[in-house]
Amino acid sequence: MQRRRFRDIVTGYALLAPSLFGVVLFLLLPLLVVGWLSVQHWDLLGPIRFVGADNWRSVLTDADFGRSLLVTLAFVALVVPLQTVLGLLAATLLAAELPGTGFFRTLYVLPWICSPLAIAVLWRWILAPTDGVISTVLQRRIEWLTDPTLALPVVSAVTVWTNVGYVTLFFLAGILAIPTDVLNAARLDGATGWQRFRHVILPMLRPTFFFVLVTGIVSAAQVFDTVYALTGGGPQGRTDLIAHRIYTEAFGAAAVGRAAVMTLILFALLLGVTVVQHLYFRRRVSYDLT
Amino acid sequence: MTSRNAGIYALLTLGALITLAPFGLGLLTSFTSARQFNTESALSLPHPPTLANYAGLADAGFGRALVVTALMTSVILVSQLTFSVTAAYAFARLDFPGRTVLFWLYLATLMVPATVTVVPLYLMMAEAGLRNTFWALVLPFMFGSPYAIFLLREYFRSIPADLIRAARIDGAGTADVLVHVVLPASRSILVTLALITVVSQWNSFMWPLVITSGAPWRVLTVATAGLQSQFDAQWTLVMAATTVAIVPLIVVFAALGRHIVRSIVVTGIK
Repeated sequence: MQRRRFRDIVTGYALLAPSLFGVVLFLLLPLLVVGWLSVQHWDLLGPIRFVGADNWRSVLTDADFGRSLLVTLAFVALVVPLQTVLGLLAATLLAAELPGTGFFRTLYVLPWICSPLAIAVLWRWILAPTDGVISTVLQRRIEWLTDPTLALPVVSAVTVWTNVGYVTLFFLAGILAIPTDVLNAARLDGATGWQRFRHVILPMLRPTFFFVLVTGIVSAAQVFDTVYALTGGGPQGRTDLIAHRIYTEAFGAAAVGRAAVMTLILFALLLGVTVVQHLYFRRRVSYDLT
Repeated sequence: MTSRNAGIYALLTLGALITLAPFGLGLLTSFTSARQFNTESALSLPHPPTLANYAGLADAGFGRALVVTALMTSVILVSQLTFSVTAAYAFARLDFPGRTVLFWLYLATLMVPATVTVVPLYLMMAEAGLRNTFWALVLPFMFGSPYAIFLLREYFRSIPADLIRAARIDGAGTADVLVHVVLPASRSILVTLALITVVSQWNSFMWPLVITSGAPWRVLTVATAGLQSQFDAQWTLVMAATTVAIVPLIVVFAALGRHIVRSIVVTGIK
C-alpha cells in the first residue's frame, strides 16, 4: 500500500509536469514580467533600464490613454446590451422549435467561429465608401469608417453581427432548460404569451443573463482584430479600443514600459469583472477533491 | 401554417440573410476579375468566374501562410490536448501532496485575460532569442489549457471508479488505463475541446502579428491583414484572401456543426 501511494505521487507529478511548466512560464510569470516592465524603459531593441514611476506618471496623465478608456467603455456599452437583446430575441424565435430551426441555429453561429480579422476585412469592403456593397445599394457615398461620429457605432455593429449567434445559443439552452410543467402551469392560469415571457421565462433566465453579460463585457473589452482591420483606431482615435492602444504603444511607438502600465490597468479592470464571474461559476463547477 | 409561425419563419429568414449575405458577396467577389470589378457595379455576378485572384494570392505567399497556419494549429492541438488530458487525469484520479493547492493555482490562471500576456510574452520570447520562429507561435499554448483541464477533470471524475479498478486488477498501468479506459469513455468532450482549440488557433491574430515578421512564419490572418493594407482598393484579391482564411473553418463547421454548437454551450469559450 505504501508502495502504491509512492507510485501515485510520482505518476501524479509526472503527468502534471508539462502543464505546470506551461502555467507557470506562460501564464503566471508574464504577470510578474509585466509588473516589472511597468517600471522599465524598453524600445523593443535596445537595453532595458529602470525608470521608476515615469511610465505610470506619463500614462496616467496621457490624454490618448484616457480617451482610449472612454472609447472602450462606450464600445462595451453599445455592444453588450445590443447583442444580448438581439440574442434573446433570436433564441425566443428558435425556442418555438418549428421544423428547420436547427438549421437557423447553426447558421447564426457561423460569423462567430470565423476569424475576426477576416470578418473585419470583409466588412471593410462592404462598408467601403466608393466600391463597397452598401454604397452601391444606396447609390450614395457614406464614410462609415472615417466619419468621427459614425466610426464607433459601425465598429460596434460589426462586433454585434459577429457575436449575436453565440449569445443566442446560451439563451436558447436556458429557455429549453425551463421545465415545461412551469410553462404549462402558467398557461393554465391564463397567462398570455407575453406574460409567460415576462414573468416566467425572463426570471428563470437570470443565470444565463449573468453569464452572457459578464463574458460579453470581458471579450468586448479586449477586442483588437476588428479595429485593427476596420479603422486602425481612427478617425482621431475615436475607435482606439484599449487592446489596440496597448498594441500601438508597444509595437508602434516602441514604448513597452508604457504599454505594460496600460496592460496592468486593463488587467485590474477585467479582474473585477472576472472575479464576479468565477464567484458565480463556483456554484456550477465542483471543486470537491475527495 | 399559422400566422404566428409564418412570422417566426420570416424573422428567422431575415436573420439568416443578414448573417449569410456578407459571406456570399465576399465569395462572389473573390471570383470576379479585377477589370470587371472596376468597371461594373460591385454587386454584378462574376462573368466569367475567374481564379485569377487566387493565383494572385499564391504569388503573394499565401500557400506558405496556409501551411504555417495548419502546422501551428495541428502542433498546438495535439500537444495541448495531450498535456491537458494527463494533467486532468492526475487531478481527477491520483492522490499526491499539493494537489489541492496546484488545482487552485490552475483555477486562478483562468482570470488572466489573453491580452494581458502579450507584452510580457514578447519580452520573454525576445530574451530567449525566439522572435520570428515557429516555436514562438506555438510554445505559449502547447502545454495544456487550464480551462480544458477543468472540463476534462470533471468528466474523468464521472467515469465509474470500478471500471478503472477492474483494469488495474487486470494488471493495467496508468498509461493503459488512460488510453484504453478513460479516453474512449471521454470521446465527446475530447471532440469538443479539439474543435474549440482548432477554431481559436486558426483564427489567432494578435500574438502571431507581434511575434513574427516577414514571410517565413506568417500565418493566414497576418497575411490577410498585410494584403489589405498593401492593396487597399484591390477588393477582388482581398476577398480571395478572406475566403481562404474563412473557408477551411466553414468546412469543419459544415461537417461538425452540431458538435460545435454543443461545444460552445458546454465550454462557453472560443
